[in-house]
Order: sequence, then C-alpha cells, then structure tokens
Amino acid sequence: MRASVRAEGLTRRFGRRWALRGIDLEIASGSVVALLGANGTGKTTLLSVLCTLLRPTAGNVEVLGFPLPSGGDQVRTRSALMTPSGHAYEELTGIENLRFASRMAGLRPAEGALEAALEAVGLSEAAHTRARAYSSGMRKRLELARMRLRDLELVLLDEPFVSLDESGVALVQEAIVAWRDAGATVLIASHRVADATLHADRVVRLERGVVGTAVSS
Amino acid sequence: MSGIGRRAGAILWKDLVTEVRTRQGFSAMISFAALVLFLFSFAIGPDTQLLGRLAGGLLWVAILFTGTLSLGRAFQSEELAGGTRLLRLYPGDVRAIYLGKLLANLVLLAALEVLLFPAAAVLFQIDMLPHAPGLIAVAALGTFGLSTIGTFFAGLTVHMRARELLLPLLLFPALVPVMLGGVNATDGILMGDPMGRVEGWVRLLVAYDVILFVVCVWIFPVILEE
Repeated sequence: MRASVRAEGLTRRFGRRWALRGIDLEIASGSVVALLGANGTGKTTLLSVLCTLLRPTAGNVEVLGFPLPSGGDQVRTRSALMTPSGHAYEELTGIENLRFASRMAGLRPAEGALEAALEAVGLSEAAHTRARAYSSGMRKRLELARMRLRDLELVLLDEPFVSLDESGVALVQEAIVAWRDAGATVLIASHRVADATLHADRVVRLERGVVGTAVSS
Repeated sequence: MSGIGRRAGAILWKDLVTEVRTRQGFSAMISFAALVLFLFSFAIGPDTQLLGRLAGGLLWVAILFTGTLSLGRAFQSEELAGGTRLLRLYPGDVRAIYLGKLLANLVLLAALEVLLFPAAAVLFQIDMLPHAPGLIAVAALGTFGLSTIGTFFAGLTVHMRARELLLPLLLFPALVPVMLGGVNATDGILMGDPMGRVEGWVRLLVAYDVILFVVCVWIFPVILEE
C-alpha cells in the first residue's frame, strides 16, 4: 500500500500544552478519511502539521512521500487546506480572489476557467461582488472554487460543512467524490459525523484531548 | 517573470487594489503627515531661516511617523482574510510574501512623499526644485531602508498582542542610521552641500539599505514559522 500520510510518534506542543502526543497514523493514497473527535482533540493541529503550517515538535511525518519539514514545498505544491471560516480577501471580488490564488499557486488558468470555477460553486452572480459582502457560506464556496482550480494529491478539509446550506454541503460532497475519483487522498476533519463519513473509506478518531488514537472503521 | 517575482507581484497587486478601494490607510497617512508638519511649523514659529535649517529633520520625522503608521497595516489585510500564515500554504519561496509587502509599502510611501515634499516646500518656504534630483535620490534610499526593516518587523509583530507598541519600539532604534543619513543628506542638499558631506551620508544609506535588505530577505522565512 502506498501511503499519502505516514506519521510515527507525531507530537506537537503549544507552550506547555500538548495538542498531539505520539500519533501513529498511515493513510492510503486515494482514500477518503474522516477525522473525528471532540473539540480540542487535535484535529486542526494534525491537519496544520500535514499541510506544513505547523512544524511537528517531535516524531516523523511523511506526506506524499516527502518528509516534513524538509519536503514542505513539494507537499504545498500538491496539497491544499480548506479552513473552517473560508479564506477570502474582503476588498477583492470573487473572481479577483481566484485570480490572486491562481497566481500565488503558479497557475495560468485558461480563458474563462475562473468564471467556470465560480459557476460550479454557485457564485457566478457574485463573481464581481467584493468578498466583504459574502456570507460565511459564500466564502466557503469561494474557497472550494479556489481549491478546485488545482490538481491536488492531498486535500485537507477542516470543518468543510460549517456555514453551508444543503446545496453547499452537496457541492462539498461532490468535490470529495471528484477528488477521490481523480486519485487524490481526502482527509475530512468535522463534527458533522454523517456528512464526514458519507464517502469515507475509513474513520480516524482523536480522543481524550491531546492523546491521539487511530481507529479503522 | 520568475515564480517568486510573479507571486510578489500578485501580493503587490492585491495590496494596492485593497488600498485604492478602502482609501483608509492612505488618507490617514496624508492627514497624519500634514498634521506633523503643521505642528512642527507652529511650534517653531514664523522664523523661516530656522525652519529651512530644520527642514530635513522635520521631513524625515514626518516620514518616519507616517511610515510606521502605514507599515503597521502591512499585514492587517492578511489577518482579516484568515491569517498571514495561510499565505504560506502556497507553494514556492515564502520570501515572495516579504517582497510583495515591501513593494506595496514602497509604493505607498513614495506616493506620500510625492505630496509631502512639495507641502514642506510651501510650508517652510524652501525652493526644493533646483535640488529635486538629489532629494529624490535620498528620499528613495531612505524610504527603501524604512520599508525594508519596517516590513520585516511588521511581519514579526503581526501575531503579537501589543504590536502597535512593539513595532515602533523595534523599528526606531534599527532606523537610526537611515534617519542620520536621510536627515544629514537632505539638509546638505538643501544647503548646497557646503561641507561636501552629502556623498558620505549617501554612502551610509546605500550600505545600510543593502545590509538590511539582505538580512531581512534571508531571515524572513524564519519569522513565519510556527
């Protein structure tokens, strides 16, 4: 089995508080994994380490075959993180936010690709509206559009269903299936168990605050 | 354009579009700079000879205070959008973030100075036009130094609670050579360089700018680490 994520004894500490303590985890390439657990169990911290935002305090982590932190740039080229609140610049319009994201990612999208991406998430009418007027659900849709511009091998979704209406949740579910069909690994951290596990091949539960335990469903 | 240049350009574009649309930052900068110049002018009184002798210092104090105001906002748009750290999720050299922010600060400060120097000329009754090339060169060097170290410290303090207080505390001591060079070179140019010392101050500015730029670009990735 080729692993997209391999962690051995992964720990992460914030000052005197341990957020992750000795997590051993292996996630197969092309699988959809639901990461469940109560508040403060380290789900967001784990995703942040895997997407290279945080350095592990100790332990070995390999993402997409690249050891962290040294292989961080290779990981960032092939992965993306959806944040709980949605990442958008308020003074830029929806289309400008996508244009900025594609430039930063080194993409040269084809003519009309950005418009199509916004249309796919139901934001075509708000394409030229500044993001400051977007609701939290619209920001989440914008973030989904931003992620779908790229060819990803690892997709990290932190509370992807929060703030979304039914059609928005369906869009995220469609995206998860599309990523899986394209061979990407999808890791979903969420409190909405039914939504997170709908397409999941496996469930990993973080328990008891800082102590992580990996469980197969 | 290389990857780092393209990404720095994207950040420059985003920050300038944001500034043009909000106009809050630049309006506040202009008002503040004008206020500083007026206050000095009123405090010193109608002695135009004295004002002329102090013009270099007054101008650079106005630029420093206003620049600090502007630099403090350099990373605020990132925090509103979800955090500066999210910019690190894009592939490529994170120094592009620093370079983009530095360029945006340079453009804003240059725009401010385009208004500030003529305003000072009128207020202090100095004929700056014959000295324009020299003044522009010194202003460019000083502004580059201020923006280089200011952008770095703005990134360093962005997650700190007392960042409004910390930024000037860190910035002002580090800017002593820039202020010394800027004030003395400006005064020298305005007075026709009677002692032939302008070149020395310009050399100091150039050397310090190069050192600041190299060190800040080199260290910046470390300050974004968590």
